[in-house]
Amino acid sequence: MAISFPTSQAALNDLVDWFIPAELAADREMRKQARMFLISHLFGPFIGNVVPLALYILDPKPGFEVVVLAASITGFWIFPFVLRAIGHYYLLALISIQNLMFCILWSCFFYGGVTSPTLPWVLTIPLLAFFYLGSAPRLRLIVLGMFALNFAVFWGFLQAGYASEPAMDFAALQGLGLVSTVAASLYVTMMALFYAKVLASQGELETEMRGHLATAAELRRATEEAERAGAAKADFLAKMSHELRTPLNAVIGYSQILLEDAADEDDAETASDLERIHSAGHHLLRLVNEVLDLSKIEAGMMELHLEPIDVAPLLEEAIAQFTGAAEQGRNTLTLASAPDIGGIVCDGGKLRQALHQVLDNATKFTRDGTIRVSAMRSGVGRAATLLLRVEDSGIGIAEAQLPSLFEQFTVGDDSSASKYGGTGLGLALGRKLCRLMGGDIEVESREGVGSAFTIVVPTTPRLAVPNDRDDEKPGVPPDRFSRRLAAIAERKSPMIMTAAQTHA
Amino acid sequence: MHKILLVEDNEMNRDMLTRRLQRQGFAVCCAPDGPSGVAMAAQETPDLILMDVALGEMDGWEATQLIKSAPRTAAIPIIALTAHALSSDRAKSVEVGCADFDTKPIDLPRLLGKIGACLQKAA
Repeated sequence: MAISFPTSQAALNDLVDWFIPAELAADREMRKQARMFLISHLFGPFIGNVVPLALYILDPKPGFEVVVLAASITGFWIFPFVLRAIGHYYLLALISIQNLMFCILWSCFFYGGVTSPTLPWVLTIPLLAFFYLGSAPRLRLIVLGMFALNFAVFWGFLQAGYASEPAMDFAALQGLGLVSTVAASLYVTMMALFYAKVLASQGELETEMRGHLATAAELRRATEEAERAGAAKADFLAKMSHELRTPLNAVIGYSQILLEDAADEDDAETASDLERIHSAGHHLLRLVNEVLDLSKIEAGMMELHLEPIDVAPLLEEAIAQFTGAAEQGRNTLTLASAPDIGGIVCDGGKLRQALHQVLDNATKFTRDGTIRVSAMRSGVGRAATLLLRVEDSGIGIAEAQLPSLFEQFTVGDDSSASKYGGTGLGLALGRKLCRLMGGDIEVESREGVGSAFTIVVPTTPRLAVPNDRDDEKPGVPPDRFSRRLAAIAERKSPMIMTAAQTHA
Repeated sequence: MHKILLVEDNEMNRDMLTRRLQRQGFAVCCAPDGPSGVAMAAQETPDLILMDVALGEMDGWEATQLIKSAPRTAAIPIIALTAHALSSDRAKSVEVGCADFDTKPIDLPRLLGKIGACLQKAA
C-alpha cells in the first residue's frame, strides 16, 4: 500500500530529512520515528487548523478561545525547527503530545464538553504517541500519565462549571462535527499512509540486504576458489623450479667436473665439447630461472626480502662479475660511484638481479666501447630514490623499438638477436623486479650512439602492487624523470652531465 | 692433507662438491643430515666443516650450534652454505658461530678462497 509519486516523494523525503539532526539520522529506528514526527508536524497544522477556521465561520461570536486554539495548532510548526536546532527528540515529542492534548481538550471544553464535535481528535493522541515514541515502556507510561492528568484537569474544570454553552445552534454544531471528523480522519489517514510507506521501504531495505548478503557469500566462495587456484599455482611453480633446476644443476655440475678432468688430461677436443654442454646448461638454467621469476611475479607470488644493504659493495661485486664479459667484447667497464653512496633498504637480491640484467644487456650490445656504471641519490624523505645508471656506447636502440623494449621476448630486431644473442626476458624481468620494489628502469637511447639504462629504487620500501602490469607505471614518468635528471646534473654531479650531453 | 666434512642433503650436490674438493687435494667425508653431521664431526674431527643451511628436520644452524657447544668440536671452523645472499643469513651465521658464509650454487674458486682463509686462521 505504498504511495508512489517518485519525484514529489523524493522531494518530501529531502524536506523531512533536512530537519533530522545527524546523530538522530544515524539510528534507523530513531530516524523512522523522527520522520513520522516531522510529517505530522509539517502537514498536521494544515488539517488541524480547519477546526478553528470552521469555528470562526460557524460561531456567531468567535472569542479568544478560537484564537488560542489556532495559535496552539499553528505552534506545531515550530517543532521541526527546534528539532533541527537543538535535537532532544523525545522531550520535543512529549511536549508536542502535551500540546495536542491541550488543543483537543480546549476545543472540547468550549464547544460541547464530552459531547463536543471535536472529540474524535482524542483518537489521534495514542496513535501519534505510538508513531513518535515507538514502544519504549517508560515513554508510554509518561504519555499515559500526561493523558490522565490532562483529563483530570479537564474534568475538574467541567465540574467547576466553567464550560459555557456554545453560542452555536444545532445545525452549526453538526457542521462543525462534520468538518472536525473529516479533518481528523484525513489526518489519521495521512499518518497511516506515511507509516505504511515507511514499513514498505523497510521491507525493500531488508530484501536488498538479503541480496547483499547473498552476493557477499558468493564473493567469499569465489575468493576461496581463487585462493585455492593461487595456492595450486604457487605449488606448481615451487615444484617446477625444483624439478627443472635439479637436473640442470647435475648437467652443469658434472660437465664442469668432466671439463676439469679433460683439462687435466690435455684433451682439448673433449674439453671443447664439454664446454659447449656446460655453457648451454648455464644458458638454459638462466632461462628457466627467468621464466620462473616472471611467472612468480605475474602470479603475485614473488616475495620481497627487505633488508638494509650497502650500495658500494653491491656495485663492486657486479663490476667484478662482468669484467670478463666486458673484456670479451673489448669494452672498458668502469665504476664511477660516489664513495659515500651509503646504504638503502630494499631486496638486495632483486636489485642485484636487475643490475645484472642491465649490465648483461650493455655488455651484449657493445663492442670496442665503454660501459660506465654510476650511482647517486635523488629526492628526500619518502620520495628519496637511489639511481643506478649503466651507460654504454653500444649499438643503441631505434626509437621505434623503445616502447616495446621491456616487453617479454623483445630483442631489438631478429638480426641483432642472432648476432648478439639474448633471451628477451632479461629487461622485462629487471623492470618487473624494480617495480615490485616500487621503482622502475628507465631507458634513453640513440641508435648508433649508445644507451643509458637507469634503475630507480626507493631508498626505503614503497611497495607496489605485486601483480604489476606493464601498462601501469608506478615509477616516475620518463619526461619528469629526464627533467629531474637534468636538474640534478646541473647542480650536482658531473657524471650525469656527460650522460645528458650524450643522450640529449 | 686437510680433512673437510660436508653436510649436505642433496645426493648429487654432495657427490659433485666431494669430487671437486678431492681433486683440490682435500680428504672429504660427508653427512646427509644434521644429526649425522653432528655425530661425524665428533667422530672424524675434521679441519673444516661445510654446512648446508637448508637441511630437513634439524637445519644447518641448529647443527652448527650443537657442534659449537661440544668441547671436542667447538674449535672446528664452519662455513655455512645458503641458497640466498641475504644479510639476515649472514647475521645468523655470525650468531651461531660460523667462521664464514657462502651462497649456492657453488662458485668453486670463491669457496676455495674462503676455505683457505679459514684453515690459515685456524692453524
